[in-house]
Amino acid sequence: MADRLDLGESAGGNDPLHVPVVEGYPMAALDTTLGRRLGAGFWVSVGWLVVIVTVAALAPWLPIADPNETGYGGRMDRPGWATWFGTDTNGRDMFSRTIWGARVSLTVGFVAIAAGLAIGGTLGLIAGYFRGTADRVISFAFFALLSFPGLVFALLIIAALGSSLKVVCMTLGVLSIAPVGRLARAATLVFAEREFVQASRVLGATHTRIMLRELLPNVLIPMSALALLGMAVTIVAEGALAYLGLSVSDGFSWGKMILLGSAPRTLRDGPWVVMFPIGAMFLTVLALNYAGDRLRQYLDVRELAF
Amino acid sequence: MAVTDGSPLLSVSDLRVGFATERGLVRAVDGVSFDLAAGRTLGIVGESGSGKSVTAKTIMNLLPSYARVEGSVTFDGRDVRALASSGARHFWGVEMTMVFQDPMTSLNPVKKVGEQIAESLRVHLKRSRKEARDEAGDLLEQVGIPEPRKRLTQYPHELSGGLRQRVVIAMALACSPRLLIADEPTTALDVTVQKHILDLLDGLREERGMAMILITHDLGVVRGRADDIMVMYAGRTMEQADTDTLFSEMRHPYTEALLETIPRIDMPSHSRLVPIPGRPPDVIEVSTGCPFAPRCRSCTDVCLTERPTLDEQGHGHVCACHGPVGTDVGAMARSANEASGVTPAGLDMAAFGSAGVEAGDGS
Amino acid sequence: MAGSGTVQLRDDADVLLRVENLVMEFPVGRHQVVHAVSDVSFDVRRGETLGIVGESGCGKSTTARALVQLPRPTSGRVILDPGSDLEIDMTTLSGSSLRQVRPRMQMIFQDPISSLNPRRRVRDIVGEGLVIWQDDKGGSSTRARVDEVLNAVGIEPEVAADRRPHEFSGGQCQRISIARAVAIEPEILICDEPVSALDVSVQAQILNILEDMKARYGLTLVFISHDLSVVRNVSDRVVVMYLGKICEIGGADTLYLEPAHPYTRVLLASAPEPAATVDPSDAAIGDEIPSPINPPSGCRFRTRCPRAADRCASEEPQMRAVGDDHFVACHFPTLA
Repeated sequence: MADRLDLGESAGGNDPLHVPVVEGYPMAALDTTLGRRLGAGFWVSVGWLVVIVTVAALAPWLPIADPNETGYGGRMDRPGWATWFGTDTNGRDMFSRTIWGARVSLTVGFVAIAAGLAIGGTLGLIAGYFRGTADRVISFAFFALLSFPGLVFALLIIAALGSSLKVVCMTLGVLSIAPVGRLARAATLVFAEREFVQASRVLGATHTRIMLRELLPNVLIPMSALALLGMAVTIVAEGALAYLGLSVSDGFSWGKMILLGSAPRTLRDGPWVVMFPIGAMFLTVLALNYAGDRLRQYLDVRELAF
Repeated sequence: MAVTDGSPLLSVSDLRVGFATERGLVRAVDGVSFDLAAGRTLGIVGESGSGKSVTAKTIMNLLPSYARVEGSVTFDGRDVRALASSGARHFWGVEMTMVFQDPMTSLNPVKKVGEQIAESLRVHLKRSRKEARDEAGDLLEQVGIPEPRKRLTQYPHELSGGLRQRVVIAMALACSPRLLIADEPTTALDVTVQKHILDLLDGLREERGMAMILITHDLGVVRGRADDIMVMYAGRTMEQADTDTLFSEMRHPYTEALLETIPRIDMPSHSRLVPIPGRPPDVIEVSTGCPFAPRCRSCTDVCLTERPTLDEQGHGHVCACHGPVGTDVGAMARSANEASGVTPAGLDMAAFGSAGVEAGDGS
Repeated sequence: MAGSGTVQLRDDADVLLRVENLVMEFPVGRHQVVHAVSDVSFDVRRGETLGIVGESGCGKSTTARALVQLPRPTSGRVILDPGSDLEIDMTTLSGSSLRQVRPRMQMIFQDPISSLNPRRRVRDIVGEGLVIWQDDKGGSSTRARVDEVLNAVGIEPEVAADRRPHEFSGGQCQRISIARAVAIEPEILICDEPVSALDVSVQAQILNILEDMKARYGLTLVFISHDLSVVRNVSDRVVVMYLGKICEIGGADTLYLEPAHPYTRVLLASAPEPAATVDPSDAAIGDEIPSPINPPSGCRFRTRCPRAADRCASEEPQMRAVGDDHFVACHFPTLA
């Protein structure tokens, strides 16, 4: 816990308040009272995410209606005992559709950010560790990606390649490379300065080994906080694409459900058709943001590139 | 100065400072008392966690609000803790000031040196802008800064570490304090500069009749500079005496061990050092007995169960030990431990000859 | 002072490490260069402890890092087994052949906490070198060796091996660092301020462990510190550095008893309890250390030196012998 050691101070030996001293003093304990706790809100958020992921994953096996079965209920039934979330204009069960919609939204969020982590994280690690030319090239690439308007980029790709789930995931994944990569680079820079990395080089470890064994485990921690925030951003981005009519053609996400429910007449006669997917998306994004933010504070991540 | 002979300028009595943490109550200071007369220097010696800096911060009212403070601190007859709760403005920084280890913590990096010194003069002493500026220049001259007028317009980062610490001392002296607390003022500085800063502080104290508390981890620093020395360990006073007595009639095994463990410059190459086995205590644990017992050569059974009181060893010389060095009890305890090869605290006496296995790893 | 020259180099078969004309420069800003180490030469005999002492900015830590080629020096040579058939100049080695030589020279750093990867367990940290270099990847021989070196530094392997660094105090972390360094049986151990971040009551433990390790594993030590008392205690021979140059080289006791360089006298007189062999007034020099970007001409110490004369500004002093195995770079040494 005395990770944040301050050499100048510790040499003299100091007391708990002042410095996290070297010789096993209670700085760590003091730290926890000063807000280094995840808190109940974090666990409530995680609880919601676990529930939504579980039901989305188990959707085909749950005793719920077929989301595409038109006329399961009446046309725009109000929410009630028979159909908990009501039905839409085609009489499809909104409860079932909200769960099935979660599958696509969460898949897009997860796959896109996972791709960002894999590619951006690797590039950031390489840039931060080797510095020099590699860093200049990779950092320039990140800047270029960040400078390109994301929405225009997505529009172009999807217009060119069609809006399959794969393409949407890939597009959003590419957009998440630069922010993720910049954080990975910043975190790597911090740890690469530490003496355990030098010690490893003196032992004769290869660069690959140092990056995988010494740096990656340390860099993954701030990245995990970013991953949650990134998923939230991606889910919202997919919603925005859907609203422009560019969402997945093979299946439906919360965003597409919102688009379908937002026709003026539907909105007037059956606001629940749009409210439930909005609510689910709102709660999920809120939970991801809150949990990610708490985690970021808890782990003390300084630079966040979003 | 206002203080008449006999009554101390600063009087600390049975001071206790605790911090509530998840792991339990940290007893940072656990019953510390001392008096300090005007014009004298008290050296407080201890390692990290000894409570020396927390003691200073309590006096300076610098503790965070969640600290639990008991005991009394009086300055010139006034209750310092009552002053703190009444929100007295012109007390800290005026009548008593503090110099920290790292000069950059006391300096604002984006303000010119002259402005920083002048600010305190203008706030506390209501000087005009011009007066404050002139006085700031005089102060820089007093602390031995070459070309003081030129330095006024410089920023802290333009100065060397030694000069920065001199600026901090000038700031501390601006309002003519009657007590100056210097907390490891030279630890962050280069060796060739350390001595200059210590000599400067000593000279200023004498010139101005200030009282001074010099906090350090190094007995060598206070030797020859402090009138009295208090040795602290785990928040408690281990031994306190005037400097000559402390070095000539050292009583506490911890004081003795501290002196023996540090290589001195006149020791021949490859002299074997006497280590202090183990590590400083965790002040979270409620310890019965003497906190130094687990690392002590003269440890006896009673040291593990009974907290030693601060007993008078001679004129003004107090020591908290059941078997002090230089007494029959102490000598017997040590020879008994040497004979059995292990102290009652379970410490292998061989540890004093070699590097010593640390008892109990981790925390 | 602040001199150049190589007369101090010894020419015998016992010399294990020789540093010749080492220069380390770092670019800063535009067209500016920090002259961190400028033309430094010294050698270390097998089994000897060489102390390097000086203030911040004297280049002692940079020298230590240049020895392990992190980063590579700007120029100069770092030679293992000089003069023998096995002579290796580390500065000429390419990436993979340098890696092969690395286990011969290990290093201990100042900051014990930062020296250990917070995410790894003590067993993996100490065994890292063995896993890299032995065929038995983390098997029983690695475990046995890790247990052995942990015991040697006074850490109980049963209790400690499966814990992570944050569970240990600074002194214990430094023991673990030492264990990691000696586990792969290096010949040379470079210690960069190994005790200056530790509490006073723990320093002697670490210094004694280093002496024990040296005897037990037949190590050669390069010990770097700002503290002359500590350096005298552990060293056989001492190099005094100032602003990237060597001032004086000699036996640890010789330097103390017969300091020849004015700067060595300053260091001796600046100790909290000054040495008896110098006048306390010798410590009276200016506080301002010149910038290594633009070091003084001639002798680099002249701006603070009480004996400085015109010659010191125009001519750089060369190393010369002033006694048996005692060399100084000064035009006006305090010892003829």
